[in-house]
Amino acid sequence: MGYSGKFGASVLALAIAAGGAFAQDLQIGNGDWWQQAGAPFKGVTLRGVTESTPASNFVSDVLAPKFEELTGIRVDVETTSWDQMYDKAIKDMEAGTGIYDMIYIEQDIVYAYMARNFLVDLTTALKDKPALKAANYDEANFTTFANNFRGAEDGNLYGTPMEAFIKVYLYRTDLFGNADVRAAFKEKTGRDLEPAKTHAEYAEIAQFFTQWGKDHDEDLWGTTAQAHTGHPASWYEYFESIAPTFGVYDWGIDAANNYAATVENGGRMNSDEAKEAMKWWLSMRDIAPPESVQSTWTEVATTFAAGRAAQGLVYGENAAWIASDETKSRVVGNVGVALPPLQDGVMADAESGKGYIGYYDGGAFGLPVTSKNQDAALLFLQFMALPEVQEEWAAAASRVTLSSTYDTPKVQALDAELGGYYSMIRDQGRLFKGAPEYPFHAQLREATAPIFYDILTGAIAPDEGLDRMAAKAEEELTSLGYRK
Amino acid sequence: MQSRKLGWLLLAPTLIVLFLFGVVPFVYVVYVSFHDWNPFAANPDMVFSGANNFRRAVFDAGFLASLGVTVAFVFFAVLSELVIGYALAQAFMKDFPGKAFFRTIHTLPLIMAPIIVGSIWKLMTTPSIGIIPSLLDSWFGYDMNIGQSAATAFVITVIMDIWHWTPLVTLTLIAALVSLPPDPFEQAQIDGANKRQIFWHITLPMIAPAVVATVFIRLMDALRTVDEVLMLTGGGPGSATRYVGVHIFKEVFPRTNYGYGSAVSVIVLYLTIVVCWLLYVSMLAPRNSKKG
Repeated sequence: MGYSGKFGASVLALAIAAGGAFAQDLQIGNGDWWQQAGAPFKGVTLRGVTESTPASNFVSDVLAPKFEELTGIRVDVETTSWDQMYDKAIKDMEAGTGIYDMIYIEQDIVYAYMARNFLVDLTTALKDKPALKAANYDEANFTTFANNFRGAEDGNLYGTPMEAFIKVYLYRTDLFGNADVRAAFKEKTGRDLEPAKTHAEYAEIAQFFTQWGKDHDEDLWGTTAQAHTGHPASWYEYFESIAPTFGVYDWGIDAANNYAATVENGGRMNSDEAKEAMKWWLSMRDIAPPESVQSTWTEVATTFAAGRAAQGLVYGENAAWIASDETKSRVVGNVGVALPPLQDGVMADAESGKGYIGYYDGGAFGLPVTSKNQDAALLFLQFMALPEVQEEWAAAASRVTLSSTYDTPKVQALDAELGGYYSMIRDQGRLFKGAPEYPFHAQLREATAPIFYDILTGAIAPDEGLDRMAAKAEEELTSLGYRK
Repeated sequence: MQSRKLGWLLLAPTLIVLFLFGVVPFVYVVYVSFHDWNPFAANPDMVFSGANNFRRAVFDAGFLASLGVTVAFVFFAVLSELVIGYALAQAFMKDFPGKAFFRTIHTLPLIMAPIIVGSIWKLMTTPSIGIIPSLLDSWFGYDMNIGQSAATAFVITVIMDIWHWTPLVTLTLIAALVSLPPDPFEQAQIDGANKRQIFWHITLPMIAPAVVATVFIRLMDALRTVDEVLMLTGGGPGSATRYVGVHIFKEVFPRTNYGYGSAVSVIVLYLTIVVCWLLYVSMLAPRNSKKG
């Protein structure tokens, strides 16, 4: 990348940082209405708990102060680790203590929360209280990702989407475009160096770059791997990002068939495709940077941003800062995005709605029924969904929840910088899918995780391990009462 | 009579707090342990299940394995802390330049929250960026990766615990050593006893109550270790550092298996009491009976 390119990237990064960092930069329409609507609640403090992510940090650092400035309602958002967030929210709602007025609901837990009637029906609540309805708030503004937070029967919204992104295939454009590298790759493989479309191509590229790093004494490896040997992040990488690209969807569990997981009973958790996926992923893990066996979701992004991997699957919430923030990333301006490599037939499955090609991640802020400040919280949840705040938020945290956000200038500029990441969410987001609609995510994961970690350490062979995991999954689902 | 009432009145706040935050939760955990209760099950209600959870725990390979690694962890960590702590206590009994400074520095780990300790050790041990793997690689060519090697992960968690808690042992033993009367030591020296004999026959018996109290405290703490290990290894690689505290945490919180998790907690509490009692009997009871 030339000087002008770096300068341009720096200017863009500075513009984004300056734009996203200050609440006073947000211009909110109907300021008088917000003042009047907030007046009855002046002095109230809303408490929220969320995972510490770029999107959540924007809520606490930018949106909360702006909302307080407009309405006089203070918003304290506690940003904590992923597991602590769930722990705190669940205990609060289970015990009915009413500490939190807003909780982060990752897409994979919303079905469990709805099954337990933990959440306020926002659609109905706003219909019943028209005085609290903000003019610029409209459920129709949301992208289709909001459907994940709608009730299966009533179609009403149970959370305000605040985070939505896909797990993308990132690659280093400086390496993929380097003439020497391309020539060496062509000589070695007989084909041009382009982002992989199949697993075989991906593996070939990964092996090439890992060897390149060794040969040139560089800290460079061919791929990332979210392969922690004791943290659920690895479990999720396999089941939500790797297995689907081999045609194993919804964790290999057939909900319509009595939640079968084993091939014997009609499930696919231990199918040949699942076993092939596991072996392929482990082979990639083996040529990834050594920290990969301790990497969770965030560390993978850090590894890529440090320039230690030529390609990898990275959560899109990190894409913007990896591509544009020179204070954190060494690959600014050198990031390209592509769809994940796939087995034959998977794209056709995704196009027809039978399957999907990767993980569409995200979350919403929900209002617990135990909250003691529900009306004031309803105001803040609408405030988060105003079109006026979306551009800065999308640029700061690579997330889009409103359709109109794609057309804003900053997002379009960053889209170009990121090689079309935002366009990919808009145009091809439908090919990705969030977690399956199960009310037992953490329970099933924790029941099978010890076996999964043993597969990662090599204590159990992949085939035997997946057989045992599938059997354990059925045992757990029977114990929980979902499998009859 | 008046002063007795006043005594109870003054004690009442403490007793109420102890009752509310000690006795009530304990009774509740015992109550829950006799039920099947997972709020995310098809039936989210508590269902009485008798001793099923206890029976299940006894045959649960995962729990038994976690108990096994916990015993090894506690043995190596507490024994090392005792030996190193005693050596440091003896060192701090002597005068040397910068003693106050070193004594202060040495106690710093004690004031750190366990989660911070775990974070620090994670930073220090992460392959490629951590100082420990980097030094081991450059000095000995040893490729250390606690995400891959079960033995390494176990050893590092033990070292982390030693780093964190040895200062407590040192401070306790310094207090015990300072309080020892000089006469028996002077008499022993006059009688020609060597250092080893003085240690085994005078020092150790006289500081035994302090040693036992320290071991009790460290034993109980080590048995319930969660935060540091969860942050450092997550219980891995595999189940290599899934100590019983981590096992209970994963059962109760992410898995929301409240009934079974409570039963395992009760079992671990019972085992802790038994181990402490055995220690007490083997180390202090003979001494007390001699006195009697």
